[in-house]
Amino acid sequence: MSTITVKSVDELRQVVKDSKYLHVFGNGSKTGLKTGLYSEFSDDVQLVQLSGLIGITEYQPEEYTITAQAGTPVKVIQEALAKNGQYLPFDPMLADVSTIGGTVATNLSGSRRFRYGGVRDFILGASVVDGQGRSFRVGGKVVKNSAGFDLTKFLVGSLGLYAIMTEITFKVFPDVPDFTTLKLTFNTLDDLLNAIYFLNQNVFELDALDFEPDGEQWVMWARMTGLADTLSERVERLTNTLKDKTKLQTYDEMRGDNTVWDTHNSLAWADGQTVVKVAIAPKQIPKFDGLLDSAKRWYSVGGNVAWVASDTGDALDTVLTQQNLTGLCVVGDCGKAILGKPIDNPLSDRVKTIFDPEKKLV
Amino acid sequence: MDRKFFEKLQQIYPSDRLLSRDVELLPYESDALTAFQTKPGAVVLPTVDDEIIQTVRLCHEHGVPFVARGSGTSLSGGSLPIQDGLVIGLNRMNRIKKIDPEQRLAVVEPGVINLKITEAVQRYGLYYAPDPSSQSICTIGGNIAFNSGGAHCLKYGMTSNHILAMKVVLADGTVTEFGSESIEGIGIGPDLIGLFVGSEGLFGVVLEATVRLMPTPERYRTVMAAYDNLGKAGDAVSMVVASGLLPGAMEIMDKLAMKAAEASVNAGYPQEAEAILIVELEGEDGQVSAEFEQLEQVIQSSGAIEIIIAQTARERAKIWKGRKGAFSAVGRLSPDYVVQDGVVPRSKLGEALTKIGELKQKFGLDVANVFHAGDGNLHPLILYNGAEDGALEKAEALAGEILKLCVSLGGSITGEHGVGMEKRDYMPAMFTELELDVMKDLRLAIDPKEIANRGKMFPGGEAPALKQHGMHPLEKQGVISRE
Repeated sequence: MSTITVKSVDELRQVVKDSKYLHVFGNGSKTGLKTGLYSEFSDDVQLVQLSGLIGITEYQPEEYTITAQAGTPVKVIQEALAKNGQYLPFDPMLADVSTIGGTVATNLSGSRRFRYGGVRDFILGASVVDGQGRSFRVGGKVVKNSAGFDLTKFLVGSLGLYAIMTEITFKVFPDVPDFTTLKLTFNTLDDLLNAIYFLNQNVFELDALDFEPDGEQWVMWARMTGLADTLSERVERLTNTLKDKTKLQTYDEMRGDNTVWDTHNSLAWADGQTVVKVAIAPKQIPKFDGLLDSAKRWYSVGGNVAWVASDTGDALDTVLTQQNLTGLCVVGDCGKAILGKPIDNPLSDRVKTIFDPEKKLV
Repeated sequence: MDRKFFEKLQQIYPSDRLLSRDVELLPYESDALTAFQTKPGAVVLPTVDDEIIQTVRLCHEHGVPFVARGSGTSLSGGSLPIQDGLVIGLNRMNRIKKIDPEQRLAVVEPGVINLKITEAVQRYGLYYAPDPSSQSICTIGGNIAFNSGGAHCLKYGMTSNHILAMKVVLADGTVTEFGSESIEGIGIGPDLIGLFVGSEGLFGVVLEATVRLMPTPERYRTVMAAYDNLGKAGDAVSMVVASGLLPGAMEIMDKLAMKAAEASVNAGYPQEAEAILIVELEGEDGQVSAEFEQLEQVIQSSGAIEIIIAQTARERAKIWKGRKGAFSAVGRLSPDYVVQDGVVPRSKLGEALTKIGELKQKFGLDVANVFHAGDGNLHPLILYNGAEDGALEKAEALAGEILKLCVSLGGSITGEHGVGMEKRDYMPAMFTELELDVMKDLRLAIDPKEIANRGKMFPGGEAPALKQHGMHPLEKQGVISRE
């Protein structure tokens, strides 16, 4: 397998036309995707790197929109937005090393997606090159648009299998600079989940809500944003309510401390093991967690995403299949990108016949 | 309608749920875009999803076009029947099958009315967020088909952002499910929910949807500011945005719309104003109260001639009553009107309004402007008198000019109503030939016989002649409105 770095859309179109099979990536930060979906790539796959397509092409803070080429580092976009007090509310994962195109193609939102939504909720449009080497736009550049089929959203999580994004437009939001991090402990997973169910039906607006096992206990991490003057009062109200209504054991506040969120975003907690993302519902967690043995794991987005670290991913593949869940090997080598339940669907098959009839994109 | 096909329908449906007499078909001839009318061959009223699946398969086998329809509140003619085709009326598929407040979700059938979800879950402190103005009557199936929005979409998005899982029957009879109970929905793999929502019924029929619920905001703070010109109201929106606040809703009405609303519901709008801006913050009490102080300062410095702050829930309701009722109120000023919902970049709002003013002069028609200013979604109401020959055509021509204007300013021909029958000829203004071909090919890959909502979204094809028909009966009553 050889790697080509493309620097323009025209070049990319030509590569698509000339290749039998091709696999596209940005910065290569999601090492788990260096294999095919369900097995290793064959030798005739052309690797294509998009890191030559870099730059913010349009940014109008007053419109809440930003457009960037797909190979643009997430960090570059975040810094440009921060200068105007704005941010990407879906909170891209692996933000220090990812490109924006890779983030969309893998649908990797971070903890802060809890507040306003994931990649799919903030993408507005894209320019693409499909498997036939055709270049066209999908979606729009304004924050609201319902003309035509929403092919833009379809590209979220599409793993480069249908069309290659070359430029992407997002909706952005104003950020609130003041935040606080709360560490809340519970004796059991059930106690913690019950606290989440309680919070889900209450008015507290949390920016992020993650949890992880910690020895015999479970730790819930909550992030709250807001105007500086109101934060202390809101935290007090939240913790008092939790003390009253749930089995909260202890809590600790770390005002302005982002360490735990950074550690999760970079997957540093996994200590270099393979890391698999699983979309899960909170009520599926007790059973799922019981099957993980001693694997390190981190539950994010109020228990709607599980991140599981392991040596190879084999055991997890079995667990996921058993639980009818799908996993994406994000970092490390699992031997295949998709674990557990396959992602095939007749509707996506139809899109493939139009975008990539020769099945070049792998 | 083909006799064999009809006989097979009779094997699926008892006679009271298979309508074919003229008098029975009459209510289905049109949707909320009453200017178009077509008589279907028959209407079926399924009560279980298996009947829908059998019906779609039968249509595919016989090549009979069908339109799946909820309450028929489409403003773009999206649920207009096809001449001699079948209407699948989904209103009896109206069960809420599951409510899970702990995971903040509900599983519903397509015929469930939007507002009924909120009514069913509000005792848990939850609500269903997308709020089209017809929410007291429009169905989730229709909301999904057209990715419906509303006044409160800036912060939490449209229908597509609130669907977690779906079961659908594709137009060729294939039944498939995607998504999950996770907030991530699909999570891994292409976002099929995103693709299906907003496909205007051209891919197939929704059988069941899992919707996301949100906690009811603890506190609303609503301010209404009056301005002596429309431009200042638009500038105030930019000032709010620049201040870093994220309101739940920002709405502007111009003088003509205000006049209508005032005559209709006596909302207390200042009569001397040229425009009013409504800004609403929502969320956790402490946060909203602090933000509202910030908002008040912004509004104070925006050159408003009068500022009214809602102090009670009743005062808030009064402000919104005028806004939500503005459309039906316009009926008091004019025998009829057409409305568009083009989108422009927010910073181009002023330019768009100036140009709409020029077009108004050119066509000699009155235009009232009401819009979701937060997301640049215009709703120009073009007033005309249908009793005059050619008046409707003239109004439609002006509407078309406005759509082209929106596209030329970098926007869209529709923010939330969809393309349907009405705007299909303007698709080429927004998409290239290749882009349209890709969409058409995709449609054919899913629906090779083009039976699902045939004739909608794509330009060309036969269209029924425009007919002057006056306002929709529910619109006259103020139950639904064209926004």
